[in-house]
Amino acid sequence: MNNAKVLMFNNEICTGCRSCVVGCSLYHEGEIGKILSRVAVVRNERFGESFVVGCDACSDAPCAAVCPTGACAMDIKAGITKINADKCIGCKECANACPFGAINMHYKTGKAFKCDLCEGREQGPVCADWCPSGAISYQTPTIAYKAKRREKLSERLKAAKVGEEN
Amino acid sequence: MNGWAGQRLRVNLSTEEITKEPLSYEYRRKWLGGRGFNSEVLYNEMPVNIDPFDPEARVCIGVGPMSGTAAPSTGRVTVSAKSPLTGGHGDANMGGHWGAEIKYAGYDQIIIQGRAKKPVYLWIDDDKVEIRDASHLWGKYPREADQMIKEELGDEDIHIMLIGPAGENMVRFACCFNDVWRAAGRTGTGAVIGSKNLKGIATRGSGTVKIADPKKMMNVCDGLRQKMKTDVMKDGLYEYGSLVLINIANRDGWFPWKNFQEGAHLHADNMSGETHAATVMKHREGCFACPICCGRFTQIKEGKYAGEEFGGPEYEHAVPTGPRCGIIEDANDIWHNCRLTNDYGMDGIECGGTIAAAIEWYEKGLITTKETGGLELEWGNEEVVETLIRMIAKREGFGDILAEGADRAADKLGLGDKGHYYSITTRGMTVPGDDPRGLGFGYGLSFAVGTRGGCDHLRSLCCLELSGALYPGLCTKLLGDERANRPVTKVGKPYMVYYEENQKTTTDCLNVCCFTTHWSYAVRTEDQVDYLNATTGLDFTEEEFQEIGERVYTLERAYWNRHMSGAREDTVPERFLNEPMPQGVEYQTNVGATFPLNDMLKKYYRYRDWDPKTGFPSAKKLKALGLENVAKDLEPLRAKYLSEAEKKNKKWYC
Repeated sequence: MNNAKVLMFNNEICTGCRSCVVGCSLYHEGEIGKILSRVAVVRNERFGESFVVGCDACSDAPCAAVCPTGACAMDIKAGITKINADKCIGCKECANACPFGAINMHYKTGKAFKCDLCEGREQGPVCADWCPSGAISYQTPTIAYKAKRREKLSERLKAAKVGEEN
Repeated sequence: MNGWAGQRLRVNLSTEEITKEPLSYEYRRKWLGGRGFNSEVLYNEMPVNIDPFDPEARVCIGVGPMSGTAAPSTGRVTVSAKSPLTGGHGDANMGGHWGAEIKYAGYDQIIIQGRAKKPVYLWIDDDKVEIRDASHLWGKYPREADQMIKEELGDEDIHIMLIGPAGENMVRFACCFNDVWRAAGRTGTGAVIGSKNLKGIATRGSGTVKIADPKKMMNVCDGLRQKMKTDVMKDGLYEYGSLVLINIANRDGWFPWKNFQEGAHLHADNMSGETHAATVMKHREGCFACPICCGRFTQIKEGKYAGEEFGGPEYEHAVPTGPRCGIIEDANDIWHNCRLTNDYGMDGIECGGTIAAAIEWYEKGLITTKETGGLELEWGNEEVVETLIRMIAKREGFGDILAEGADRAADKLGLGDKGHYYSITTRGMTVPGDDPRGLGFGYGLSFAVGTRGGCDHLRSLCCLELSGALYPGLCTKLLGDERANRPVTKVGKPYMVYYEENQKTTTDCLNVCCFTTHWSYAVRTEDQVDYLNATTGLDFTEEEFQEIGERVYTLERAYWNRHMSGAREDTVPERFLNEPMPQGVEYQTNVGATFPLNDMLKKYYRYRDWDPKTGFPSAKKLKALGLENVAKDLEPLRAKYLSEAEKKNKKWYC
């Protein structure tokens, strides 16, 4: 396990605003639309529920495993798979293999595209940067988990204290 | 094409003819989009005295050049129609994601005309447009119909605009919704849609918006989103929704307690955003591309309404069927009433305002149980309010009269001027839950002159008088006087209203949300010009930006003038002018205040170049704005408005 930062998704607090979607498509494609985004938001308006779906940066990534040309391959330093458009033949194997639906086919080129963590963007991935609720964050998993454990503990201590007072 | 889709869709429900019309560069540059396109069509395509429910009346649905882009909050959509409530120009806009979807489907505007023989809904699947049977959807709540359509079309990701039962029953203040809960609330557009036998419009857009200069657009949007992150106004709205205003309203004395009899209540905190977030908030909701996310989703946890769920509420939705009717002790009653107006598909503001007026008529002895069908209309009686909401939506008994709106109901009941005194309306529409004696003299002036009547918080959204102090130097820059940042003062207000009305009109033409711009002042006029130019590749300036707003606003004003509504109608409910604000709570800041309209009105007319006698825009101004045909239309009407016959005829509505 390295210390590379990846995207982490917290659907408990996603508001479904699609700020991530517009930012992603503008940054990568220069035009804006849901079909050009590397992150997707699924909404269930009737019940006020929203989910954000993006590349979960699998360590043993199915998208790379099934790619017949080597276009989709793990970038070990970045901790995420990337697609080399020159090698991609548009066979859709990777999109089919992704358990989360985080890979899409480009409406102009017919080739697969996916999250590359906005490679080279100084402030990190635009989706996390623009997310108003913090549902998408850009973190090193091991550090994030440590913080989460600390948070859970303090919640438990707080609950115990309230119990005592009562 | 960059920014715009470049065409509008016209659907004639009588002939089932569906046409697509290109929008020329000149047209787009003159009217910009959204509210601009819609207001142009309402003025120029319909005969003056057409009945709002006539089959040939238009319903216009417009989005703007920024819709669907990465600028902050680009999901809004403007719905316009001749208002069945006021009889004048009507429009309302709503958030959600439908606005972006319309653009992605390839349209800047949808015009509905004609009347279907039986209930139908429209299915816009990109360039494929279909009129489909909606017999099975008639009578359904929006939340039910939304699900049924999604199942029928086999796609849960589409976005749908719908009306509820109140729209079908042509309650004069019925509204329409998209994404189930986001309402274009005001002026009764839902009733007009219902009169056409149209239940809704399902939309799937799989296209994109082209950007002329993506790099510049990325820079501009990135900058604005960074600014929004730390904006003070954004913080409150994200945490507590627009209910964050409850405690502020109560402190500053603009909380509409008992139909504005008072401006504060000791227990206002029961329904504050802080309390809502801690008790019944299930989720925060974001409209398309919004950096604020003020939307709420509510789940009632306790009491007889436990388990009820709905999207919302926000401040203006919650106060009318709550404190304005004297309800404050149990906030669950208020949330429940919000759920009801949502499900029936009515404007919560008008519904609550009309009920509050009826309660006051009853209190003052203007009506008795004889008129109400036995109901004792007392303040704070949730059972009565709930019953009336249901009766209005179904147009049953006394509810059938109230479904006409407060002013028409007063006339139907023969209550005369006394009845209108308590209806708390301007131009036939009730004012929202903002008492100008406290929220500010700018808001009040805006109520008097607003171009959709009753007109309200969103017409000028003079937020500088509410939040100006949080942005030091801004009032000086825009208005030349820092003292304008206080609510209860006349200083700088006429110009503030003039400036903000134009600014907000153009914002509605772009169809971005007011809350990101000149509510929060993170996005200002100059930033909007930046993102508009980056998107379209054109060379708009701040002056042109403001001029487009002024053009559209003036056209809407002329729409009223053509109906003999002008200077005489430019007023606010007399309660605000005559009754000094009583003390509601100890810490209230505006005790004794009245609202000094007349001093400000004259100055405002000068900025607008409106004739002080008629309140009609001058011919010179109209021509300067490129409205030559309007100048011609109004010429013979000026003398008519001043004739003795008309003078006696002060209109509560048209």
